[in-house]
Amino acid sequence: MSFGEYLRHIREGLRSGDQKYSVRQVAQRVGIEPAYLSKIERGEQAPPSETTIRKIAAELGEDPDMLLAMAGKVSADLQEIICRRPQLFANLIRELKDTPDNAILKVVREIRDGNW
Amino acid sequence: MITLERDSLVFRFPEVHGDAVLRIDFQRTLRIPDDNREYPLPPGLGRFPLQHVDDYAENIPSSWVDHGGVFLPMYQAEALWINFSSPHDYMFAVKVAAGKINAVTGESWSNKLCSTPQDYVVVPEQHWLDGFCIGKGLIRQFVAMPLGQDYTAEEQITGKAEHGGIQIVAYPIKADIYEATKTKTGFSSFDEINFCMDAMAASIGLAPGGVMKQEIYEDRHGYEAWEQTASSRCFVHILNSMQYASITGIAPPTKPISAQEYTKAGLPWFEYYGADAKVLNGAPKLPELDSVAAKGIKKGEKPLAENEPVSVVNVKKLGKVPVVREGEF
Repeated sequence: MSFGEYLRHIREGLRSGDQKYSVRQVAQRVGIEPAYLSKIERGEQAPPSETTIRKIAAELGEDPDMLLAMAGKVSADLQEIICRRPQLFANLIRELKDTPDNAILKVVREIRDGNW
Repeated sequence: MITLERDSLVFRFPEVHGDAVLRIDFQRTLRIPDDNREYPLPPGLGRFPLQHVDDYAENIPSSWVDHGGVFLPMYQAEALWINFSSPHDYMFAVKVAAGKINAVTGESWSNKLCSTPQDYVVVPEQHWLDGFCIGKGLIRQFVAMPLGQDYTAEEQITGKAEHGGIQIVAYPIKADIYEATKTKTGFSSFDEINFCMDAMAASIGLAPGGVMKQEIYEDRHGYEAWEQTASSRCFVHILNSMQYASITGIAPPTKPISAQEYTKAGLPWFEYYGADAKVLNGAPKLPELDSVAAKGIKKGEKPLAENEPVSVVNVKKLGKVPVVREGEF
């Protein structure tokens, strides 16, 4: 599913329960023209900027990283992290390319539980 | 396992099911007037920031390091609500305590689930928890008060100011039950020495505030449905906002506006009722607690500024999928 198709699917799902998720109202809250949002959803317009995608994600209750990835973008904060140690992170990501989710989760930092 | 992602606690149980993911965040909100009137749900004004205790181990009380977990900043008399979400609609039994006093039953903390009386909420049916359950469809709002002044639920029940903070443990539902349901439904310049001497005073606990309409739903899956061999728990410490800035070097969120200012601006409050879901009646211990205002009167203190009643007229009824409960700023 493309970025636009996915956006439309999610927004229409929400609209079935609440009219505030019409193209017009969502666009208004995000701060873009309804026609622009409509074109994005139909794939007639390239995905918007990172800032706008983040606003859309917040509006629709979606994960911003996932929407950015669907739009072919990497968020600015991730770019900054990678740029600080580009070789290390590029290698790490390549190494983890085919690793199962469970194994990747093992290298993620957990919140430590203690004695209480 | 629990990870910290964008100020949310993310509980994952990959050993039970790939969809077993629970997100919990802590929402800043208005403090409703503590006047025994029943108020609708206040808005969410954004997430409280969360930090690993291990990242600031040298500047926080050693007991916090022993407990592990995370911490968040709150101003005295600020309120919060707990936001639950399950991205795949996987079901969870979630126990919540404040100062190791269960927010549903008023009993002391235990890691295990209890079905009689039910001492947990069920996610995703339960979207939020705003306070201590004091009766059928009613709660008293979680309000931050310093430990050691007798306002917190913990101190009122146990007579001691030991723990503070919020404690959470989550149990996923058994994978086969989830699968069956899915098929069926389709879905620092800081003075460390001074701080350590004053460690307990820096800790904040949750006290019962104003009355709010919120239902806590009965477990329709039954006690045996929960995967009781798999659970994860987290201790969420609460730190005074000013000390949070000193310890982390990060500015805490600004104080939320008052309920009076919010209402005067015509902004919405919320109502949500879970259709045909059965609602818990509440256990006897929590209704007996003094609210912050009532305790203040007994002590001859005035702990709550801006506590005048408000007349709420703009109430939004939230739909079946209550995605947004936010103030419009």
